[in-house]
Amino acid sequence: MTTTALPNPSASGAGRPPLPVKMVIAGGFGVGKTTTVASISEIDPLTTEASITEVAAGVDDLTHTPHKTTTTVAMDFGVITLDPTLKLYLFGTPGQDRFGFMWDDLVAGALGGLVIVDTRRLDDCFAAVDYFENKGLPFAVGINVFDGNLDHDLDEVRWALDIPDSVPLVLFDARERGSVRDALLVVLELALQRAEEE
Amino acid sequence: MSGSDDASGRRGKAVVRALRPYVDPPEEDTPAPGPSSRSASASGPAPGPAGEPVRRSLSVRPFLVTAGRVTDADRLPLETQVITTTAGLNALPALTFEQHDIVAACREPLSLAELAARLHLHLNVVRVLAGDLRSAGHLTVHAPQADAAHDLSVLRRVIDGLRAVPDSRGLTRDNNRPA
Repeated sequence: MTTTALPNPSASGAGRPPLPVKMVIAGGFGVGKTTTVASISEIDPLTTEASITEVAAGVDDLTHTPHKTTTTVAMDFGVITLDPTLKLYLFGTPGQDRFGFMWDDLVAGALGGLVIVDTRRLDDCFAAVDYFENKGLPFAVGINVFDGNLDHDLDEVRWALDIPDSVPLVLFDARERGSVRDALLVVLELALQRAEEE
Repeated sequence: MSGSDDASGRRGKAVVRALRPYVDPPEEDTPAPGPSSRSASASGPAPGPAGEPVRRSLSVRPFLVTAGRVTDADRLPLETQVITTTAGLNALPALTFEQHDIVAACREPLSLAELAARLHLHLNVVRVLAGDLRSAGHLTVHAPQADAAHDLSVLRRVIDGLRAVPDSRGLTRDNNRPA
């Protein structure tokens, strides 16, 4: 007589899965997040829908049950299989600023973030910069140089964004795989440096 | 064995079709399979009066397939890897609908996010269903390493792996020669 138990979860037919790690690609609407993911992802970027819970109550409403509404947003992502044991996922944040503080799901456990900036609309990226700073996530600001030209001096951009020198500022072309790769490497090297200092 | 049975048969069919808007509808001539035994049909009344033409509505409430359950506080990260077990493969013929699709898709490891995107399911629906399938032993669920962001060896592996990714001209970061 055999005992009937739940099948052993480790008795998988496919063996041990690769270790998944992720990075977050943030920035305002239309700055090239999806292009960035598409340039380096080995799959066409996929879109999934995720609910985010929005606390609609003001701070003066704490005595009541906070009124929550759920909003569905589309989220683009891609994947790079770095080796058979390691997969890097790239998640693009939903573009809307007002969802900026609802990115916890995306950012939890992320290795780092890349905030993409369009120098014609600098203020679009403030939400992401603030969010990553508050979360302590290692991040770099990437200026997407669509046409190879930069309208502003890098120091001006840094000043305008009010980011400290510890945040790397990189120029990159979201359409070029090598350029995206190098921008991500800047973020990862910052993350490594931070981890080494811990 | 006439009017009422037909009506409930149509209702069952309507529910099934409303649940799966992206599946080709059955031929109109196909006899209704009788009151559906799908669990979904027991979860609520049919969405319209019996006999009314079924609209292939895309505005299906996504959590119908989880019988209204949502995920608990312990949410699995988006990149969590899901793999079908041997038991899951064996059970495949008996599984239906989304559960079938998930088990079939995860012969190769997939993240929850990929699964949701490929099957056009809401991410949190996939979370709930994957949890069910794990409980049943049909899937294994491998959450990512929680401290990967602070793990020097993981970070170095990611950096090395990414450096080896060739650019559009086939050049890697390290040596600027074809990979």
